[in-house]
Amino acid sequence: MASQTDSTPIYVDPIFHILKIIPFSVLRPPRLRLKLPNLTLPSPMTVFALVLLTYFMVVSGIVYDVIVEPPGIGSTQDPATGSVRPVVFLPGRVNGQYIIEGLSSGFMFVLGGIGIVLMDLALDKNRAKSVKVSYASAGISSLIIAYVMSMLFIRIKIPAYLSELVIR
Amino acid sequence: MLARTEPINGTAKPKPVSSPMNNFKSDLLNSFSLKSLKLKTKQQELLIRVSILCLVYVLAFITRLFSVLRYESMIHEFDPYFNYRTTLFLTQKGFYDFWNWFDSESWYPLGRIIGGTLYPGLMVTAAIIYWTLRFLRFAVHIREVCVLTAPFFASNTTIVAYFFGKEIWDSGAGLVAAALIAICPGYISRSVAGSYDNEGVAIFALLWTFYLFVKAVNTGSLAWALASAFGYFYMVSAWGGYVFIINLIPLYVMVLLITGRYSLRLYVAYNCMYVLGMLLAMQIRFVGFQHVQSGEHMAAMGVFFLMQVFYFLDWVKYLLNDAKLFQVFLRITVTFTVGVGAIALGVGTASGYISPWTGRFYSLLDPTYAKDHIPIIASVSEHQPTAWSSFMFDFHILLFLFPAGLYFCFKRLSDATIFIVMYGLTSMYFAGVMVRLILVATPAVCLISAIAVSATIKNLTLLLRAKNKVAQTASAKGIGSAKSSSKGLLDQSQPFHRNGAIALLLGAFYLLSKYAMHCTWVTSEAYSSPSIVLAARGAHGNRVIFDDYREAYFWLRQNTPPDAKVMSWWDYGYQITAMGNRTVIVDNNTWNNTHIATVGCAMSSYEDEAYEIMRSLDVDYVLVVFGGVTGYSSDDINKFLWMVRIGGGVFPVIKEPDYLVNGEYRVDKGASPKMLNCLMYDRARGVEIGNKDVKLEYLEEAFTTSNWIVRIYKVKPPNNRW
Repeated sequence: MASQTDSTPIYVDPIFHILKIIPFSVLRPPRLRLKLPNLTLPSPMTVFALVLLTYFMVVSGIVYDVIVEPPGIGSTQDPATGSVRPVVFLPGRVNGQYIIEGLSSGFMFVLGGIGIVLMDLALDKNRAKSVKVSYASAGISSLIIAYVMSMLFIRIKIPAYLSELVIR
Repeated sequence: MLARTEPINGTAKPKPVSSPMNNFKSDLLNSFSLKSLKLKTKQQELLIRVSILCLVYVLAFITRLFSVLRYESMIHEFDPYFNYRTTLFLTQKGFYDFWNWFDSESWYPLGRIIGGTLYPGLMVTAAIIYWTLRFLRFAVHIREVCVLTAPFFASNTTIVAYFFGKEIWDSGAGLVAAALIAICPGYISRSVAGSYDNEGVAIFALLWTFYLFVKAVNTGSLAWALASAFGYFYMVSAWGGYVFIINLIPLYVMVLLITGRYSLRLYVAYNCMYVLGMLLAMQIRFVGFQHVQSGEHMAAMGVFFLMQVFYFLDWVKYLLNDAKLFQVFLRITVTFTVGVGAIALGVGTASGYISPWTGRFYSLLDPTYAKDHIPIIASVSEHQPTAWSSFMFDFHILLFLFPAGLYFCFKRLSDATIFIVMYGLTSMYFAGVMVRLILVATPAVCLISAIAVSATIKNLTLLLRAKNKVAQTASAKGIGSAKSSSKGLLDQSQPFHRNGAIALLLGAFYLLSKYAMHCTWVTSEAYSSPSIVLAARGAHGNRVIFDDYREAYFWLRQNTPPDAKVMSWWDYGYQITAMGNRTVIVDNNTWNNTHIATVGCAMSSYEDEAYEIMRSLDVDYVLVVFGGVTGYSSDDINKFLWMVRIGGGVFPVIKEPDYLVNGEYRVDKGASPKMLNCLMYDRARGVEIGNKDVKLEYLEEAFTTSNWIVRIYKVKPPNNRW
């Protein structure tokens, strides 16, 4: 509660006055050189990076993993040979997943988002041309890969996806 | 419209000259076509915008009509039947009778105070639409109005989304947001025609309130703040999810204060909205005094007082003109305020005046809570946490555009973009916790994705058009100076950039068209089944329709005495009351856990114990759902473990391990002995597997539907033994 040390300090703070009388008229505080750390707000882009990380975790279904506790990867037994084969995608239901399946899909979504961000960075005028070209190509390729992989994943998971376009 | 023939491009077109009469007519035609085409750019833009909005409005309505076209215009699912019954009552008896209604036909023998335990917004809205149409002499039935309320409000939501997008970014983003929200499956799932539920209206009210509040913060005008308070009142009357608004807005104000964006506009907007909104919300009996008593609403009050402190400090700073003195004063005030606030909160919570967070909302913050403590909440299938495929199903490419949109928002921070970022992040977290809340996240995701789409396409088209202009000016100025060499380089890379931009634009359109195809497919296949009528593929691939539920309810209505009481699991309660018109023991409102546990206990005990319970409740008929013949998978046997869990929660006699074999749930010959003999097993699977020769002493079969899905049993009266 102390105010700053000046040549002519003005102590208006009542708590300071109380503290001056009660313990500190008897005790003598040591001379420390501590300073309160300066809390500054982080820059927007730092916050954006944190937000992206949180988004990755939520979209991978981390809450589902914590509550339902599915295995990391599923397994089936081959009826003929008896060997155990791994199954990556939980079949049958829309609202169910294994952990690794969730993480890889979440990664694809974030990759697609980063692709678009890179494309926008490539249009920034203040960079060297080669950097712009590399950003643009990285962005476009990320977006294409992410979209194709996501479509592939959902087709594996739900075999009937987009198959019935005939509406009776 | 009459536009003058003012030429835009600097060229004038002469009028054709020929014979007088024909001249006159052709003159008129020519001049009309010429005049109507020579619109100024602003008018062209307005025309395009209005026509896009009209198309989007119609699209949002008609994409929700799949089930009406396939089956018939009827109400889906379970909860909407209750809403329909109350709306019917409202239109027949008037508002005062509705508000004071005590229903003795449900939750026998307890009854239910309808006026005090529901959110009237939906019913009143539908009733108002019905009365307006009647006033205009359209003789519609209230059921049609109820079925089509949700699509109508979905169309209105797209318009609100347009204005909201315009407020946050620009009108292009608004148009894209409207288009995305019109077909987004996350929203369609709860607002198809026939889904007459609170959420259909509530999402409109939510977006409307948020738009008005952001407008109030941007302009600082009292009128907009008042409007947002009324919007909040509409939301409170419509859905219990208003708690999201009353917590998000204070959180948003806190973030603005922390990032140093305090301003008088914010002060006016928040104070007006909070005070007036709180007073209006207390008019709804179901909410009552929760705004000052419940822990979930305390954040809003805390921020309200914090705003007053900020304003006070600002005023003192203005008066003092002395920085150092002000610093001291600041420290004193902050300490004092925090201390008083903490003491008040402590006293309130300790004395019990401020009630703690209820289970439903607490399980959003701590998702593992419901699994261990409240089985009723954990058993509802919509309350399960979300897997990635549910996100993909409901959002498709919006999942890519969401992080990109966040990036654009962070690049251009303003009061409005901070709001939409917070709305998006909080709602996505809650959507991850509970599948049902994907609905609340949908408007935020659509808006942020619209920002990404709009910004990217704007960049690309600027690329297309800027290169053109640079080419013209460069060639016009000549190639002699130092600068022109760089322009020459640009000249060479131009065609590449232009082609690249065109290719990327085509790619963007391709992605958006795939989104539209996905949404239509999902709507048609997954979200348009009434779930009271089941459909399946027959042996020859034709569509077979099972109308068993309605068959059973109409049998109940016509063949049982009017004061008969029916016991079933709570899923079917609303439908039995609405269509069968008989009293039920428990229904979907699930407000009395003990009553439901009693029914669960009855279903999972041996037949004689169950008979005692049924006699004590005065039950005449028991209704169960059985899927063995048709392979229907969500019948009562599959729900059985939940009956055991809920019953065991209240009556410790029922123990879950008794019914499992080695920790697994089996219903065939290997099932545990308690399982084989309990009432539900007898009722549901009595004929097929396991215990084949069950003999029922106290119940007799009364009715079985044509596909063996619903079975009704009559409780025999006790023997006259003396």
